[in-house]
Amino acid sequence: MRISLNAIKSYVQIPESVSNQELIELIGSRLVEIEEVINLEPQYRGCYVVKVVACEPIPDTHLSLCQIDAGAHNAEFNQLENGLIQVVCGAPNVHAGMLAVWITPGAIVPSTHGNENFKLSVRKLRGYESNGMLSGADELGFDTEHKSIAEIDPKMAQPGDALADVFDLNDVILDVENKSLTHRPDCFGLVGFAREIAGILGIDFQEPPVFANLQTIKVASSEQVELDVEITDAELCPRYSCAVFDIPKNAPSKYLTPTAVFLAKAGMRAIDPMVDLTNVLMLKTGQPLHAFDYDKLVGVGNSKTPKIIVRAAEEGEQLQLLDGKTIACTPDDILITSNNVPVALAGAMGGKNTEIDPSTARVVLESATFSLYRLRKTQMAHGIFSEAITRFTKGQPAAATLPVLAEAVHQLEVEPLAVADEYPGKTPENVIKITTEQINQLLGTSYDEKTICQSLTNVGFVVKPGAALQVTVPAWRTDIHLPEDIIEEVGRLLGYDNIPLTLPTKPFLEPEVDAMVQFKHELREILSGRLCMNELLTYSFVHRDLLTKAGKDPEDCYQIVNSISPDLQCFRSEIVPSLLDKVRENLKAGHKGFTLYEMNQVARKSSGLTEEGTPITKTHLGIVSTSDFYALKAQVLAMFNELKIPVEYTALSKETATHHPYLEPKRSAELFLGGQNIGAFGEVRTHVLRQFKLDPVISALELSLEKLATAPRTLQAQVQLSRFPSVERDLTLKVASDAPFGRVAKLLDESLSQQGLYFTVTPVSIYQAKSSQDTKNLSFHIKFSSPAQTLNAAEISAIMDKITQDVTSIGATIV
Amino acid sequence: MSELEKLRAELKQLNSEYTKIKTLPPEERGEFGRTMNQKKQTLLAKIAQAESEAESADVESLDISAPAAPNQPIPVVKRGTKHPLMIELDRVTQVYSDMGFDVMESRQLDDEYHMFDSLNFPAGHPARDGYDTFRTAEGFIPPAHTSTMQHRALKKYKSKLKNGGQIAVVIPGRVFRNEDVDATHEHTFYQCEGVFVSKDATMGQMFGVLKHFFEAYYGQQLKIKTQPGYFPFTEPSAELLIEKPASLGGKGGDWLEMLGCGMIHPNVLKMAGIDSAKYHGFAWGGGIDRLAMLKYGLNDVRYFESGKLDFLEEF
Repeated sequence: MRISLNAIKSYVQIPESVSNQELIELIGSRLVEIEEVINLEPQYRGCYVVKVVACEPIPDTHLSLCQIDAGAHNAEFNQLENGLIQVVCGAPNVHAGMLAVWITPGAIVPSTHGNENFKLSVRKLRGYESNGMLSGADELGFDTEHKSIAEIDPKMAQPGDALADVFDLNDVILDVENKSLTHRPDCFGLVGFAREIAGILGIDFQEPPVFANLQTIKVASSEQVELDVEITDAELCPRYSCAVFDIPKNAPSKYLTPTAVFLAKAGMRAIDPMVDLTNVLMLKTGQPLHAFDYDKLVGVGNSKTPKIIVRAAEEGEQLQLLDGKTIACTPDDILITSNNVPVALAGAMGGKNTEIDPSTARVVLESATFSLYRLRKTQMAHGIFSEAITRFTKGQPAAATLPVLAEAVHQLEVEPLAVADEYPGKTPENVIKITTEQINQLLGTSYDEKTICQSLTNVGFVVKPGAALQVTVPAWRTDIHLPEDIIEEVGRLLGYDNIPLTLPTKPFLEPEVDAMVQFKHELREILSGRLCMNELLTYSFVHRDLLTKAGKDPEDCYQIVNSISPDLQCFRSEIVPSLLDKVRENLKAGHKGFTLYEMNQVARKSSGLTEEGTPITKTHLGIVSTSDFYALKAQVLAMFNELKIPVEYTALSKETATHHPYLEPKRSAELFLGGQNIGAFGEVRTHVLRQFKLDPVISALELSLEKLATAPRTLQAQVQLSRFPSVERDLTLKVASDAPFGRVAKLLDESLSQQGLYFTVTPVSIYQAKSSQDTKNLSFHIKFSSPAQTLNAAEISAIMDKITQDVTSIGATIV
Repeated sequence: MSELEKLRAELKQLNSEYTKIKTLPPEERGEFGRTMNQKKQTLLAKIAQAESEAESADVESLDISAPAAPNQPIPVVKRGTKHPLMIELDRVTQVYSDMGFDVMESRQLDDEYHMFDSLNFPAGHPARDGYDTFRTAEGFIPPAHTSTMQHRALKKYKSKLKNGGQIAVVIPGRVFRNEDVDATHEHTFYQCEGVFVSKDATMGQMFGVLKHFFEAYYGQQLKIKTQPGYFPFTEPSAELLIEKPASLGGKGGDWLEMLGCGMIHPNVLKMAGIDSAKYHGFAWGGGIDRLAMLKYGLNDVRYFESGKLDFLEEF
């Protein structure tokens, strides 16, 4: 929303001691977030009102050669011998004697200011020197269409006057963030905005007549028409006021009007005097108005006199709107009907069937308020985002409808023929009791009663002092309901920045940190630190295709239904597919030998819901590495070793394989904690790699961290340091090709352990001769010592014999 | 003859002269012995020095600017990386935890009740539109703010209020907004929520806590200021700004909008079963992405979820 500071100043006398800069800072700190401050002064520099003294057509062109008088400014530019300035103009309405707007050489065309900054100069057109240009309303930024040059009413200005002085353009426009005012319907009108500023500055605010007297309308007795209004449900429409009158027969002004400039400053355009007036009133009061063609309204309803019924729409009910579009209504929409025939989509847009046109003689002018909740649905359902509905959806106060209508009638200088005012949603006066202690207690301040009362009365609250303050809320503050709302008013108006800062006192107790937060932190240190992996983050939402590429079933994922991007369809059920999607790009970027990981939440529909009825989500660790199974296995085991969490692993079972369909079952393992599956890792299947356009070997791990985060750790160290010298031996065992390595290693452990020795067994190599496919050689380096004595040759020999004997039980022979 | 050889010869000479001691009268032997010994020590020191110099002369000097010696493999120091957002999230959580705040994690799939209803958003209120929420076919919401956890945090810790205790908790987490992605907008980002409730919580305490947090986080004294905000779940509500810290190149007078905050709305307390007449609280929530972007001088929020190692290896 665009707010003119000059307009604000017309309602509040800002003390001279407060500069514009300070005022803007105050508004920003106490009322609303300001997105942009637009200073108009430089935009209209070099724009003057001039008189076209002479105007001759240039033969064979549509151009005219003009001599203009810019008063005292003539001397600053290239003058003709007669002292005037020559300008070539192509507009059809240029004529001698008119007052026009001249943009001087060296000045920037206002409508291009801040964008292309089109700077005018002295140039030759068809051989004639032209100084600057005579400007249209569009070039001045007051209109969107280029029709003709702007003509200035001679009653308003003299040649040489700066345009900015004539049309109040030495102004500053604040573009404010509407979202930070969602709860303040009153501030969607300049009067309400100004009232707040008065409050912030601590100045008593003089209500303008429209709100001061909450005026009503008298119907002229001479001619009267009947006017019926019926509201079917007060919830839809708390108040509906309207008046019938004949449109004044004034031809639209040919001049550039202050109204057009006023509307332009707010980002709106002049249309016709009647509509412009209602728009100006809306900008000032926040109350939108809508005019129906009286005769069309009566005709549509087939009723002799207007019979307006406000009701909920029926599903699919059709209405052609002013913009030509025909909508199918939903039951949430509210319709204005003429004798039950829809004539307007309430709060949003009028119907084509009752549109005002040049032949309109009599109108019904509506000033009403509707359910903001329903209008919000209307806005969403039909995509209508007009200035009017923006205001209606903030909840305009019912108290304002009739006074604003009265103001419109007054300003149009018309005699109403009928007035109706249905007010079924009238609410009792809003009085809130609150003590100064309550206010100071919540803010942490020590304001006295007088300061508090003054701050409230400045913005229209009526405060009755006493043990508890009785605060009567003004009609336009539909957002105030609770004592806390009053506290906010006081805190904000007196300035949050004036609240003394303190710190709460708290006992010395160790904070409780969520186990998962701590565990992820620890894991991050291990994976990124000691194991040299790269942590990345990918989106929680994935495209269905990504899941199917990885063999996952998208149907088990929660489905996003309103995403603006097709890439965000499913809430992911595993991390690995997202990581696989990032491998190719990094390989192409020249990275080699990397391991990516991510820790994040996943969800599966089949996991069901929590006790509170929300989806069960689990935190997973996903790893994808450009390595084979064994390299990843070494990292995974190192990780658990660092964590001191004992896990077991076995070959991937059929059942677990269905959860990780991208893993090659023959080259993968699953992990167990306390006998329960917690994840799986292994090499990615060839056809999945092909889907991701990957050709090297890729390994992946998907691991649930839920149980691990709180898993018991084996912190007891296995210290086995003998005082006696240790013996080292290399041992190679020939075993059948299909004999599992793990079984042999376990056997060696058992053999040494049974002999009461301190020992380590380190695998050295696995050799499979090409010539002999039946057997393979497993080599180990073993180191052992006795906890009790130095081993002599005979004892060592006995130990080795025992090992040789033990391994024969699985058909192994020592080489 | 090299210097070292000369010295060694001298030593030999000295040793042979020493044998003279036997020929001297006993009363002169002491003095002779001391003098000779002194000469010997001096000589030995000179020899040691000369030996060390001779040894150094044999050492080949290397090119310190080269990554390896000629014909040697270039050593590679493999290093892992943490994601910058996770570094900041851990750091923020750590500062609050050091200040005495409990830490719980935010959910990534939630419902209408926690996202809106329990936070005093009236049904159908336009304020709900401001959050551009994603929705699932099953009627759930990937939350658009970590405030979605406020109700749970209040319920979980309300037993701490007994005997004059407090609820003090921060909740980091991933949140989602349904909007087009560009250099300054992401549909996926991280926030950290804070909730504090006690018998005597004030707005002055809220600003005090937040100022202290930012000072601890940036390691310097900072100025703060506020601007009004609107959140249905706080009353009064405000936006907190800090003066751009020197470590971010701030020169004074530049303000950064850091977070939204306010006193917890009595309805929010009531819905969690806390007596709003007895207890007051404050809550706040701010973005982590912005902290990381400011800290590392990043100009495109899309880098974070790009998965590009070229980016990640910078951290």
